[in-house]
Amino acid sequence: MQNSLSNSLVIGENNILPMRPASTVMQLDRLGSLHQSRLSFMRTLVRRMVAENWQISAPVFDLDEQGFGKVVYQIQARYGVFSFVVFSHYLDPECRNDRVIADKWDLTMALCEGTIDSDQLSFLQNNVPKQEAGRVDSRVLVLSRANRSARTFEYVVDELSNGRQPNIDVIAEVGYLYRTTAAYGSGKLGMADWEKVWTKHRDFARPFAAEMFTCYLLRHFSMKQAEFLASKRDPQSAVEIEEDLKRYIGIGNSTGLGMAPFLINHPLLINQWIEMRETALARVVKQSELGITAGIVDQLAESVSRVIKHLGEIITEDERQSQVNTKVGEELHMLRLWLVDQRSDLSNHVSWEALTQFAEDNWHVETQEVINTLLIELYPELVDDLEERMWVDESYEIAPEMSVADFIVSIESKYDWALTIDFSKHEASGIFWYRSEEKMEPRLGHTGVDNGIDKEMPLGIARRVRDCYDQLCQYDNDNPGKNIAHFIVKNPTYNGIVARIQTMSQSFYGDIRENLVHKDVLPINLLRCKLSFFGVSKFDPRSRLWVRNTMFQGAPLVDDFGKPFSDNWHFPIKPAFSGD
Amino acid sequence: MKVSRNELTASLKKAFEALGFEPGDYYDAADMVVWLETHGFYGFDRLLSTLAYLNTTGPVYADLIQEDKHNFVLDGKGTSILLCGSEAVDLIRAEVTKGKSAGLELINCYNRTFILQRLVKAAQRGFAFIAYWRQLEYCVKIKISPDELLPNYSTHEFAGKLDPQSLKIFCGASLANIEQQYAGELEFGDQIDHFSYSRMEECYQASLEFGIEIDEALWSMLDELVARVLVESTDRSRAGAGD
Repeated sequence: MQNSLSNSLVIGENNILPMRPASTVMQLDRLGSLHQSRLSFMRTLVRRMVAENWQISAPVFDLDEQGFGKVVYQIQARYGVFSFVVFSHYLDPECRNDRVIADKWDLTMALCEGTIDSDQLSFLQNNVPKQEAGRVDSRVLVLSRANRSARTFEYVVDELSNGRQPNIDVIAEVGYLYRTTAAYGSGKLGMADWEKVWTKHRDFARPFAAEMFTCYLLRHFSMKQAEFLASKRDPQSAVEIEEDLKRYIGIGNSTGLGMAPFLINHPLLINQWIEMRETALARVVKQSELGITAGIVDQLAESVSRVIKHLGEIITEDERQSQVNTKVGEELHMLRLWLVDQRSDLSNHVSWEALTQFAEDNWHVETQEVINTLLIELYPELVDDLEERMWVDESYEIAPEMSVADFIVSIESKYDWALTIDFSKHEASGIFWYRSEEKMEPRLGHTGVDNGIDKEMPLGIARRVRDCYDQLCQYDNDNPGKNIAHFIVKNPTYNGIVARIQTMSQSFYGDIRENLVHKDVLPINLLRCKLSFFGVSKFDPRSRLWVRNTMFQGAPLVDDFGKPFSDNWHFPIKPAFSGD
Repeated sequence: MKVSRNELTASLKKAFEALGFEPGDYYDAADMVVWLETHGFYGFDRLLSTLAYLNTTGPVYADLIQEDKHNFVLDGKGTSILLCGSEAVDLIRAEVTKGKSAGLELINCYNRTFILQRLVKAAQRGFAFIAYWRQLEYCVKIKISPDELLPNYSTHEFAGKLDPQSLKIFCGASLANIEQQYAGELEFGDQIDHFSYSRMEECYQASLEFGIEIDEALWSMLDELVARVLVESTDRSRAGAGD
């Protein structure tokens, strides 16, 4: 392996590295193998908060001895003032449920613009704990809720109250004290529209920045509450959590099918995210043609070692994910050995293009994407400007003047992957997506078995493309020389799919290349793709329909804002303690 | 009560889906209603009268009944602009790209004010539009230049013959091109009123800052329609979400 890798890592003749093709990038199994990167929303938010030294105080910290009550944090960001309100409630452990259909939680929270007066606090107290059953107003940017970890919260409070630091292995096994189960923004339940956030609040004018910030402050609160409870239990003995351990405590997250339709219904946004990530990778790979320094090789080797350790520390009951983690660890170990070799002699003129190509030819898709993430990490100066280009207006446009014949050719070129699917087979339409009457939760049904196919959500894009294509061919045969406008007047029910195909055909990466109504589809890959752009880590699939993960584990603390910051908290590993 | 634009759009899409609209059509229809309401054109009042019609019949689409080079006649067969406005605008702007202005008459159609949003959106693609229709005893005229974000909306004394339920739309590379090519069809009486740009902008900004005021009865009506696209929850269906 060493020789084959070395031989393939010689610079090729091409000076320009093309972006990876859509046929590679937009496969669902690859999208479901992505990891967070410098462009992920948590990473960019943390960079911003630390660099701009956001000031966070708690003008209201009104908790009783059980930790129940309310807390208001005030945030002075660079461009504005915001308030984060937390309501802490008693929750019968029997009622603790991470599903979206739950109606009671340990914590409910709201991120609001400006400061909060007593009237607004009262209004929020009446509505925020109800979540979907309440109503808020346009002063609210994000609404969220969270549940305590049954395994860690009480344990940590107990240890702290007895003057001891929690055992790092117990923390590592879970990774958090609270788990958030939803963070709503973008105008839901009466909140501020995304356009208002985007135009009025520059501090959060990036996709999901306000939602990520809410989860970050939840993390901050979770540790403050644990310390508060410990001090109430035993004021004499109680200690605070050591800083390194605090940084290692994240926020848990459970994500289910509710997130999946978002990716299908926002194809332009997903294309934009992918395109920026791929642009970052292409820039980095191209840069390496000019030479790679020993320092860069060392940095990559160090990162690889950390990822190996990180993967080894992930605990998951999911057999498939566990095997993948092992496999990726083994392949990264080979990469580390090779990097050590290269470090001793840089005259081989290695390039990242050869490395990524070797990985694509020989290694697991998840190893490939870990490597891509790590390469992007090496060159912040080539990448970080792209974080301002992660948003795009989700608007579809019909090109009515295009001839039907040209449109058919365009589909054959851009949607060839959809045309190869045989929809006459039952399994190709083996499942359908629908909205349940329970909080409109998206669910999957089995075709011919479950009720609801008459109310199917139109997420089977490949099948709709195929249907449209067949109709176009028939129309063109009967009416040669006509344009799309005429086709739609005659076939008005195809208006939507025509607009989507024409719009996405103009984008770089286009639609996700998967039949999303196939009986064996893995929706978890959709969830993981979006979560990777959020910036989560430690994916722990609980089924093919939902996944647990950890947010902000390893991230700086509020007390770190304004201090020197190396931005290397990705792939967190257990801190070493002298007392362990 | 107040709702955000996002949740209003989401609710309208599902409501129109429940009424039999196809994907694409329900996106466009929701956008038309929201645009009117957020720019001061009483979109909700117009929606209420439309829902009464749409709730009694399946979707009816317009037919192309006449085509003569750059001029078209579509028969709406009594349907709403919510269902045929997009097709009408796309049909004429497809012809403009061939170098000349184009005109279209949409007969037997209702809720014509909703066409405003489609014209504004198409203007962003570099087209100019003039549209007019008869409203009671006066004439509504819309003009919008390429790339403009707001339309020029005015009412005029009625001049000439115009079917009570028809809508005329003209599209070109510029307003001057349209006015030159269709001078004979663009004669209007004295202006009665004009809807200022500043009023539209103020309405829009207020809706963004404070939310959109909606009558609870209408919101409940939309909720009832939305419920039609939801599927009953059972233990088995919960398993289809991860249980």
